[in-house]
Amino acid sequence: MQSAAKLTELLRGQFGNTVSAKEQNGILYLSGHLPDWDSVVAAGRLCADPKSRRMVVNDIAATGCERPKMQLPTMEDKALEGAAPDVLVIGAGVVGCAIARELARYDVTVLLVEKEHDVGMQASSRNDGMVHPGIDLKPWQVKQKYNLAGNRMYPEICRELEVPFARTGQIIGITQAWARAVLPLSVHYWRRMGIPCNYLSRDALLKKEPHLAPDVACGLEFPTAGIVCPYGLTIAYAENAVQNGVKLSLDTAVLGMKVQDGKIYAVRTNRGTIRPKVVVNAAGVFSEEIAQMANDRFFSIHPRKGTNAILDKKAAFRVQTIASLLGTAATKSAHSKGGGLVRTVDGNLLVGPDAVETAAKEDYATNAESVHATFAKQKNALPELSEADIITYFTGVRAATYEEDFVICPGRATKNLVHAAGIQSPGLTAAPAIGVAVAKMAAELVGTTKKNSKFQPHRTAVPHLSSLPQAERNALIHQNPDFGVIVCRCEEISRGEIIAALHRPVPCDTVDGVKRRVRPGMGRCQGGFCGPLVTQIIAEELHKPLEQVCKSGEGSELLLAPTKAETGQSNF
Amino acid sequence: MKENYDVAVLGGGPAGLAAALAADAAGASVLLIEREGRLGGILKQCIHDGFGLVRFGKKLAGPEYAQHFIDALAQSKVETALLTFATHAEQTPDGVKLTLVSRAGMHTITVKKLVLATGCRERTARQVAIHGTRPAGIFTAGAAQYYTNILGELPTKRCVILGSGDIGLIMARRLTLEGAEVLGVYEAKPTPSGLARNISQCLKDFDIPISTSHTVTRVFGKERLEAVEIAEVDAAMQPKPGTAKRIDCDALILSVGLIPENELAETLGVALDKRTKGPVCDQNGQTMTEGIYACGNALHVNDLVDYVTESGEIAGRAAAAASAQRSLCPLATQGEFLYAVPQQIDLATLKTQTVLFFRVSREMQNAMVTLSVNGKTILEKRYRHLRPPEMERLAVDLSSAGLAQNSALLLTVKEADKTE
Repeated sequence: MQSAAKLTELLRGQFGNTVSAKEQNGILYLSGHLPDWDSVVAAGRLCADPKSRRMVVNDIAATGCERPKMQLPTMEDKALEGAAPDVLVIGAGVVGCAIARELARYDVTVLLVEKEHDVGMQASSRNDGMVHPGIDLKPWQVKQKYNLAGNRMYPEICRELEVPFARTGQIIGITQAWARAVLPLSVHYWRRMGIPCNYLSRDALLKKEPHLAPDVACGLEFPTAGIVCPYGLTIAYAENAVQNGVKLSLDTAVLGMKVQDGKIYAVRTNRGTIRPKVVVNAAGVFSEEIAQMANDRFFSIHPRKGTNAILDKKAAFRVQTIASLLGTAATKSAHSKGGGLVRTVDGNLLVGPDAVETAAKEDYATNAESVHATFAKQKNALPELSEADIITYFTGVRAATYEEDFVICPGRATKNLVHAAGIQSPGLTAAPAIGVAVAKMAAELVGTTKKNSKFQPHRTAVPHLSSLPQAERNALIHQNPDFGVIVCRCEEISRGEIIAALHRPVPCDTVDGVKRRVRPGMGRCQGGFCGPLVTQIIAEELHKPLEQVCKSGEGSELLLAPTKAETGQSNF
Repeated sequence: MKENYDVAVLGGGPAGLAAALAADAAGASVLLIEREGRLGGILKQCIHDGFGLVRFGKKLAGPEYAQHFIDALAQSKVETALLTFATHAEQTPDGVKLTLVSRAGMHTITVKKLVLATGCRERTARQVAIHGTRPAGIFTAGAAQYYTNILGELPTKRCVILGSGDIGLIMARRLTLEGAEVLGVYEAKPTPSGLARNISQCLKDFDIPISTSHTVTRVFGKERLEAVEIAEVDAAMQPKPGTAKRIDCDALILSVGLIPENELAETLGVALDKRTKGPVCDQNGQTMTEGIYACGNALHVNDLVDYVTESGEIAGRAAAAASAQRSLCPLATQGEFLYAVPQQIDLATLKTQTVLFFRVSREMQNAMVTLSVNGKTILEKRYRHLRPPEMERLAVDLSSAGLAQNSALLLTVKEADKTE
């Protein structure tokens, strides 16, 4: 570990005299200013020592680069005023929801707050859904431990929560012929870490992935890799948490905290002030802001964007697993897993992601360059890949620390706090294990190990009619004829499924919310046909005027005013 | 619902209505399957006029046009299954087995012939690679039309329209009449995509500007659309640097093309034409899979509903007839065509009139279209103007042309030499 003085020297050698490093209480603070954001990130990286406990807090400003503030809900009320839960969990992404659900196993009261209008709105719904085998992590990393543990938990947790999960395996091909000599031996490296791994000859690989690059020489298979719907799992965790007594408050942002003598006394939100015994920081890209409010900031988040494209189900036959190619110059970038081709649980093909540093934590705008670059790269692996098959694309922002590791531990300076911060990839894989571990830490801080005897681990999902055997589907339609009325033709989703999604333990009243739960609009027409119908069903079911139905959050109303004429007759 | 029919028609829009009526008139037992609660397809929301000029010699509104056929259906023996969706189709020795889902549950029927009249869908913002945020306020023209005309709700007060397809032009006028401000129509191609009459009646008459060789490159706004970025594009449709400008608006309406819906056809292994994106078929609308027919916009995107009806009638009538061994001769094209249909001619069922449709791939003046068999011209037609948006119909007698399976049947187009 290098001293702050030495690091200042190094920084100045590389970036000039406008920056310096200072160590205090085992934290390395960087200050000063640099001309652009990429330099700020590079300075932070230079000083990070992932193996040490000393973490980087990067306060270097980028001149002329605005760092947008957290976007806040506009609503204000006193709904939470005076609430005094044992545990307050901040952030309802997959990690926060898993923690809340695991906390429900204890005899504690839990309040889960989320600033967005739905759960899983940020990184948790904007990733590739891969359950990683843990192959590119180092044994000393916190994230490796949680990755391996989380991966093992997947079959059971998905069974309990009725979330589709498939262990498809991951296949990495190599085009260089020399790899045939080395690769068969390399399998022991992963096996020693507890990661199953098989060598694949060219023939064996092409048998599993017949459409992969014909010039592939050989490859490796990691059978423990799998896929899950990331927002599906987040919603399932949240629903099971609520079902077990966790109180969920959406549109609720933490604005400040009252901290004294290393203890959080009060947490101020736009919906009232809360007095929790223990606080869990699961705030994703904003976990640094929450740590700051709690007087316990010892890490920094540098957001990293990644864009994925979703392809038509018709193109999905080309990939059976999670596939990528190693050894082309284009596939290796410093802090991305390299991206790949993922056959999703819903039968689409997902391509991506890339990795681009950004100063904006909520910049979900896509750009053409990212999609073109990702496709150019993945075409090496799958020559038949075509941008013409794209049905949509999306961008997520990863909450990376400079150490590129998770921060999962009790607060350092503040004692009634647990961090589940800096969770980037493989956060989805790790979430079940993080949930268990952080719940235990929080329960211990509350001072209880007593279990909730009424805890019900099983959550019943909305039935997915089109995937059921005909007799079962028929029986459900006889119980509820709305299950027989197809509203979304691309994904074959019925009116009954849409109505069911509107009456679940976690409130859902938006078109995108319905789409994430039961998939109308996820298909090739992207809601061109069913969007208006879903809008109509939401208005009818929730007794709202059409003009109040939103696409996603507050202010995303779809319809603006009635026309001059009287309303026509509905098509359904 | 019975278990067996001679003919099932999938889709109760103008093509399906015509096909069901024609098959019924030819004596077949017919089931018409419609996934919505009312017949008429997209015509239900097309409350503007202009339908039926070719067929009825007068301008009707969409619902009026559809009603002609819905009324005729009531007088026929056609059985109609509303709110019924075909989830699965497979070929069996007896014909086609269809799995249907409705409020009554799951039903399986077997039909001798299946007519696909499934229409088309709109291309989306993602398919034309629009980037930026994902706010509310980006609608396909058809969705905007449904909101406005069926739900009676305005999706915009101030919008930009991308693409000059006919529905976009119709919506420009419709929204203007409803008091919304349509700031302009932007078309990436150098010429408009819609019919000339719609450019005149929907844009010019309402002073709505149209800019060709311009496209939307980006959208802005977190929750609701706040602005779009427009740029001029070059011949390769790439934005020209330095031409970008931002336009504040609350909606972006897309009219960027239609794609025939053929997902069920694909599951049946029906061969599709990359150019039309519909099935390859003969002059009877029969696809290359025996017993499966296609018509209307599922076959290729038509400009006028009158032709959709005609195509439905052809397919319905043919589907009602007994199966016969086909003898196919391909129709080839030479010159700048987008496509020509049918792609195959069945010599065994040739009648004195065969209807061909084609679209050219660029605007042409004084063009000569020639149909030849083995190099011998059998039809010549001169066109003063040919434009890609306008579909051209040719009725020709092929029965006396001496066609054989190995004949070279060729459709050519040639623009008159400018120096002539």
